[in-house]
Amino acid sequence: MSGSMHLSRLRRWFLASPPIEFAINNLKELLVGALRQGPIPQHVAFVMDGNRRFARCHGIETVEGHNLGFEALARILEVCYKSGVKVVTIYAFSIENFKRSKFEVDALMDMAKVKLSQMAQHGDLLDRYGAQVRVLGRLDLLKPDVLAAVNKAVDLTSRNGDRVLNICFPYTSRDEITTAIRDTVRDYSTPLRSDPPANGISRTPFSESHITHHIRAQARCSSKVPDPQSDSESSSAESSALDDDSSSRNDSASRIYESGSSFSSSTTLHLGPQDGHHTKGAALGHPSDTETPSFLSPETISRHILTENMLTKGTPPLDMLVRTSGVERLSDFMLWQCHEATEIVFLDVLWPEFDLWHFLPVLLGWQRRISKSRQNPNGEGDFAGDSPEGKGQLDNIVMLGNKLKAT
Amino acid sequence: MVSKTDREILRADIRARGDKSLTAADRENLLKPYLPDPADLEPSSNSSASQSRTGSGPSQRRQQRARKKPIRTFLKSQLYKFTYAITHIFFGIVVRLLQAYHAVVDRVFAIVYHHHRTPELIRKDVRGLKRLPEHLSVILTLQKEDDALAVLMDEVAELAAWSASAGIPQLSVYEKSGILKSCIPALHRNISTKLTSYFGTSSQQPSLRLFAPHHPVYGGAHTTQQTPRSESTSTPSQSLTILLLSSTDGRETIVDLTKTLAEMSQNGKLSPEDITPELVDAEISEITTQPLLSQAAQESAGTQPIMKPEPDLLLVFGSFLKLDGYPPWQIRLTEMYCTGVHHRGMTGYGEAVEYQGFMRGLWHYAGAQMRFGR
Repeated sequence: MSGSMHLSRLRRWFLASPPIEFAINNLKELLVGALRQGPIPQHVAFVMDGNRRFARCHGIETVEGHNLGFEALARILEVCYKSGVKVVTIYAFSIENFKRSKFEVDALMDMAKVKLSQMAQHGDLLDRYGAQVRVLGRLDLLKPDVLAAVNKAVDLTSRNGDRVLNICFPYTSRDEITTAIRDTVRDYSTPLRSDPPANGISRTPFSESHITHHIRAQARCSSKVPDPQSDSESSSAESSALDDDSSSRNDSASRIYESGSSFSSSTTLHLGPQDGHHTKGAALGHPSDTETPSFLSPETISRHILTENMLTKGTPPLDMLVRTSGVERLSDFMLWQCHEATEIVFLDVLWPEFDLWHFLPVLLGWQRRISKSRQNPNGEGDFAGDSPEGKGQLDNIVMLGNKLKAT
Repeated sequence: MVSKTDREILRADIRARGDKSLTAADRENLLKPYLPDPADLEPSSNSSASQSRTGSGPSQRRQQRARKKPIRTFLKSQLYKFTYAITHIFFGIVVRLLQAYHAVVDRVFAIVYHHHRTPELIRKDVRGLKRLPEHLSVILTLQKEDDALAVLMDEVAELAAWSASAGIPQLSVYEKSGILKSCIPALHRNISTKLTSYFGTSSQQPSLRLFAPHHPVYGGAHTTQQTPRSESTSTPSQSLTILLLSSTDGRETIVDLTKTLAEMSQNGKLSPEDITPELVDAEISEITTQPLLSQAAQESAGTQPIMKPEPDLLLVFGSFLKLDGYPPWQIRLTEMYCTGVHHRGMTGYGEAVEYQGFMRGLWHYAGAQMRFGR
């Protein structure tokens, strides 16, 4: 035991001696520079796990362990940004963590506050190097003083360049997904402005009601029916016998006609990506007698819209998720973001010990796979989704399946 | 890559917060040697703030710099390229060696641990384990050969037999394209045959239920009604429930839920504030736990969930861990294990889904190490 203590002290002394330190730093610099030459993940997420266990193993206080964890974070951020990673997302604090001891929660909050306010003091430095800090999560759960520090740091760096640090502060992924759903629902259930009806028949070039309206208008021109108001009322009364859907479409169509706006305006006002086949664009609303509240059709909600409502909106897709300390669970982190093409890596190292040496093999493996899949898209690491060839293959298999069913 | 002395100063600063901590200027001075020269920053990093602050300064300085030492920058980039190549060559060698080592170890395991189609042997392999997953989930990939579907069905059947033998009552199989869902009867037949080859006569077989989200339970009305009663009382053999998942049960399901909620909200049946994680969880879980009830099963099964919504263990049969569209909501606390086996195409040897990989996953889940020799 004492022998290993001495050895480790000797080793530490040796590593801290100036020439060795210089050499190691240069070596790291060289390796990071070399990493830049290949493909680099654009978005990396870290679960910084193992601070407490590290503190327990080394007989230091938990808070001290978290401080060492912060140093490790600074180290790894340097590696990431220097090697070309655009966005780093870290799991700093889970909503579940509020259940920990009050002492630890307070210490963590305090640390976050101190670090963020220190960062705010170096505003011009941050400006020069263009890193942007975002805090993702339930900010309403924070104490006011921490929240102030968070807001200050976020505001200060919001104009900065292309490197982003996402700090998931009180965060769980289920909460994020729920919030995204709620926001989407809220977006879709706020009535649109009714003067130019923005909902509408986005892809129907000719609508029957429109044509009938035309015919009626022509008839009106010839026979001089004096009251157009009663006419439209009668038309809506007619259509209310039909189902809601067609009646509201009818209604909106007639309103488009009356307001004189062209169809192109109604299509441009149609929010969200057009999925092409959502021709049934009319909103479901109660056809009330005077003002029909018109909504965007829920059918236009797509995974893209939900993704845009996630907290990580506007960042490139997550390429890699690293969790330290050998726990092989996601623990409610980035569920929506990481379940498609993300490579998930579990490392058996405690976070305060995490350094370039542990991260390097992961990055090299990723580069290797990516360059291999670029050379040979059908090979092992097929990141490029479904190719048309794959689709054909699938059709074949579906046919095969049908045959099998038939037998 | 802060030097040790500076690191100590910073650490002392953290500890001594309050009385004699460093000022912002002190810290900045301390940091200065580690920051790259602003002029070194790439022109591509279009930080508008720095541009506006220093005006035309940086571009001029950069030009000067480039004129001053073009050879040095050139050499540097060449050095980086060289190092990149060298590291990748070495890394490639190491990876190959590791692969070879693992392939050998896998073969040894495959010989030592083999099921021999005997449930007793499988039961013996898992006897020492502290815990077993109640709900096991696997990610399988459809290969590109012509007989891919047959191979896939055979893999599912094998997994079902192993799970049943090991005493895992719930198995969910994820396959991205969802082809398995289109041939449930054939798959059921396949699994039944496989179970017969493991367990022998039908009386000792575990009762099998097979379903997919939005599909009724397949297992035939007669099996679901008679087998649980007759067998759970007479023999201790358990039941096996298999759930088939595909990528549409992932994001698409959440999107569908959002659509429904939006529609309800538009009709005033629900306010957006009512949407809580609990509500979403209840809705999403229901899809994977409760099959669509057919007329016959409606009386017997009721609305009991027949699956645990969140899998305990997720086995990925592949060379690295990628979820490939697996339903995201359910895997919050799921342990994941990747067998690290290469696809058949790569090595041309062995199968992706192997008994020893399955066993290693179970051992890993129990926190145990597998040894050579039983």
